Amino acid sequence: MSPAEHRVDLLYGTLDLLILRTLVYGPAHGHAIAKHVRRVSEDALRIETGSLYPALHKLEGRSWIAAEWKKSDKGKRARYYRLTAAGRKQLALQQSRWEQLSVAMARVLRPADQH
Amino acid sequence: MWQAAQVGLRSLWRWRRQESELDEEIRFHLAEDVDELVEGGMPPAQARAVARRAFGNVPLIRELTRETWGWGAAERLLQDARSAVRAIRRNPGYAWTVILTLAFGIGLNAAMYGLLSRLFLQAPPHIEDPEGVHRVWLQERFFCTEDGDPAGPTYTREGTDWVDFTALRADTDRLGAVGGYTRPRPMQNGRGQRAEELQVSWVTGELLALLGARPAIGRAIVPADDDAAAEPVAVIGNGYWKRGFGGTREALGATLTFGEVTYTIVGVMPPGFSGPEPNAADVWLPLQIAAADARDNWRDSCAGFSLTTLLRRVPGGTTEAAEAAATHALQAARANSPWQDTGATVVLGPVLRTRGPGRLEGHMRLPLVVAGVAWIVLLIAGANVSNLLMLRVAARRRELAVRHALGAARWVVGRLLVIESLVLATVSGVAALGVAAIAGRVLRSALLPQHQWTGGALDVTAIAFTGVAALVVGLMTAAFPAVYAARARALDRLDGLRGARSLGAPVRTGLIAVQAALSLVLLNGAAVFYGSFDAARKLDVGYAKENLLTVRLGTGWGGTPLAESTIDAMETRVRLLPGVLDVAQTTAAPMTLVKAGLLLRVEAPGELPRTGGPYENFVTENFFRVAGLDIRDGRGFNEGDISGAPRVAVVNTTFARLVWPDRPAVGRCLFVGPDASTCTTVVGVAETALEFGVQDVNRFPHFYLSLEQASHDSELAELLGWDRTLVVRTRGDPGGVVPAALHALAELFPDLPANRVRSLPAVFAPRIRSWTVGTGLFAAAALLALLLAALGLYAVIAFGVRQRELEFGIRRALGARAWDLLRMVMARGLTVTAVGVAAGVVGALSAGGFVAPLLFEGHSPRDPLALTAAALLLLTVAACASLLPARRATRADPRRALQAE
Repeated sequence: MSPAEHRVDLLYGTLDLLILRTLVYGPAHGHAIAKHVRRVSEDALRIETGSLYPALHKLEGRSWIAAEWKKSDKGKRARYYRLTAAGRKQLALQQSRWEQLSVAMARVLRPADQH
Repeated sequence: MWQAAQVGLRSLWRWRRQESELDEEIRFHLAEDVDELVEGGMPPAQARAVARRAFGNVPLIRELTRETWGWGAAERLLQDARSAVRAIRRNPGYAWTVILTLAFGIGLNAAMYGLLSRLFLQAPPHIEDPEGVHRVWLQERFFCTEDGDPAGPTYTREGTDWVDFTALRADTDRLGAVGGYTRPRPMQNGRGQRAEELQVSWVTGELLALLGARPAIGRAIVPADDDAAAEPVAVIGNGYWKRGFGGTREALGATLTFGEVTYTIVGVMPPGFSGPEPNAADVWLPLQIAAADARDNWRDSCAGFSLTTLLRRVPGGTTEAAEAAATHALQAARANSPWQDTGATVVLGPVLRTRGPGRLEGHMRLPLVVAGVAWIVLLIAGANVSNLLMLRVAARRRELAVRHALGAARWVVGRLLVIESLVLATVSGVAALGVAAIAGRVLRSALLPQHQWTGGALDVTAIAFTGVAALVVGLMTAAFPAVYAARARALDRLDGLRGARSLGAPVRTGLIAVQAALSLVLLNGAAVFYGSFDAARKLDVGYAKENLLTVRLGTGWGGTPLAESTIDAMETRVRLLPGVLDVAQTTAAPMTLVKAGLLLRVEAPGELPRTGGPYENFVTENFFRVAGLDIRDGRGFNEGDISGAPRVAVVNTTFARLVWPDRPAVGRCLFVGPDASTCTTVVGVAETALEFGVQDVNRFPHFYLSLEQASHDSELAELLGWDRTLVVRTRGDPGGVVPAALHALAELFPDLPANRVRSLPAVFAPRIRSWTVGTGLFAAAALLALLLAALGLYAVIAFGVRQRELEFGIRRALGARAWDLLRMVMARGLTVTAVGVAAGVVGALSAGGFVAPLLFEGHSPRDPLALTAAALLLLTVAACASLLPARRATRADPRRALQAE
């Protein structure tokens, strides 16, 4: 099974959650966020750049994350995003919602498995 | 204001900063990707290419990101407009097609709207409180003939006899102010080659005050001026003031000479003033002086002099009261008249003649038809643009799906399309103003060449129309595509390509069918008008008009008879001009002037008509040969018909048929003159010429007498009158001989105006003008429609083929022949067109009734041949338009199609 077929499409709304969750570990630029998600999900989740930047700017617009320009490890100027207090609250909210949803989904799906 | 500008500047600045930051962010991301790949061992050049491909569509990402910046409404609008402009610039061919299409459609309609609003909607400018002014119409039976039949049909007419007018004018208390005028018509100012033709309207003293129009400089014509004994004065229009006097005050006090009277200019009307008509006069003269100069009996009822009467209601009075009072005054004045309908009533209409209650004049119908044509062109243009937008949406479905996936609300995508369409419509609107300015001028002179307009063709109403039309068309054309784009989301994601293709396809096909239907209506119109034009052009008027030129030598009313020697000298001069074959003389003027006045008695069972002839004409021996009138029976005049020989006459076929219905005319007697006892023997019958118009009802009885015999006969020489015309037969186009003839005329007759030399083709052309113009306009509109329909069909079919390339490839691989695929694709295009053609035939047949009165007599607007030709042409064009994409289908390669997926 090739990695491509193993990949899961992102559900609507999950991208926000992934970004917020990633930023818990500290400020990061867009590239690093995408890389982190890919690595942690063992290449199952891949954020398209076409979705990443609009999402980052949307979250920034809602003040859940804030951005500033800093030098990266390699000395280049990069836009670093960090979680704000409002973002933390939002993360908690979205995460609990997500967990509720996945528990519910699991309940629905299990009986089918038993056939 | 300043604050708003500051806020605007600040947000513009913020927006620029955000843009550049986003660019830098994206560059950084790409650089990181490249670094990673290079670290993994890839050569840098390849790494850059791979990273770029993996990153995706940069402009799209930029655009999607921008949308999240959550700005205020104004900034978002600006942003949307920019995004629309970007989308348009990515596809200039499409944008140009849309802009040109809409500019034509809107511009043409704006021009027509401006023209129609002057003719049908707006009261002429400078009329104070136009609602209070009425045009006076009489509803009566026609009496002014000996056999006036009181039981005849009642009809509504605008003309008022002087006697009736004075009766209405007397009762100012109950009727209000009453004034009269004649419609502008050409009159010669001055004499000789320098005489100029001006549009002149005669007005009674009350008229200008009644309208409430004040002159720009000088004074108006007042009641005291309108008196036979008063000093003759004139008021001129602003256009003529600028044209003739350079717009200086020197115009006041200058003189104009019409007929035998010299008028002093006392006032200049303001710019735009056109009197009570949309058709402006150059000069307004006091009616009583001008009318008395033209003819002695002008005051008599039935003198053929008719006046248009206007009435301004008394303040606070109702139209009904004024109408009743006017009817009462009219009937009281007519109570004992044996010549007039004593039961006639007055009907008050709006000041605009076109608003009735009288019938719409024939020449006002063509503008309405052309307005209909312009509408159809706009509809086609709209349908075409809508179609193109739909295809764009279909082609951009991936982008739209991504926007949706990112959470863009449905209406955001719709809004983008609407704005894109509005941006296009705005640009088109600006271009349309240019089209309207040009089309307005062309249409004005083409549709109503005799009209003199005041004000530019592109007035405020036309500009406002353009603005509104651009907005409405922009919204309408975007409506279908926007709804479609909003609905496309779910299907795109679930169903991929198939969903994208099938959704909206019925609407696209429907739009094509609509275009085909409207194109058919226009094509049919062009064919029908061409039929009329062709028949009218080939109409046999009797005269060999293609090679004839006439030179009118008479001085008309009040002049002195010309010396025969001068006329002969002129004839010799003209005969020697290059290109001239022969010259004849006549006392009438072919296709210009007929004369009736001789007392004529016949011994015959038939009756001579009381109106419409018989007309007399003294001609030289070679006249019938030169003019090209065939002799149907007997002979024409010859060298033997000289003074002293038996008097001879030739009659035309109409005369012969009316007077001697059951026996040959040749050999009968005419008794000519006040107390003639000598028989003038009819020696021949000539064909009946069509002197006026293009309809056979205008073929009148004529009789011809020998000019040679008459000029040597003391009794008849008196009756020759003052008019003499040279009929000149030319070798080629008579127009080429006109300048030389003019030159000869100027030397021998310095007093005659230049318009006395006319080629008969030039005289005839205006009579068939409505068909020439109708054919031209329909043909141009139909061509445009055909082009647009072909373009639309091509785009839709080509898009369909592109979408189904994989399917076609597989069919090919499975053994389908090229011919099968070709047939499949073309069948679709032709089916859609055929449906449109069927609908168009129904439309053309039902529109026929309105067009019918505009066609040459006997021609039906529902001509099966024209319809068939139009349908065939349309289907041929449709076949060609679908052939190109169909050929592409036959070359479909399944491998390439799969790769594209």
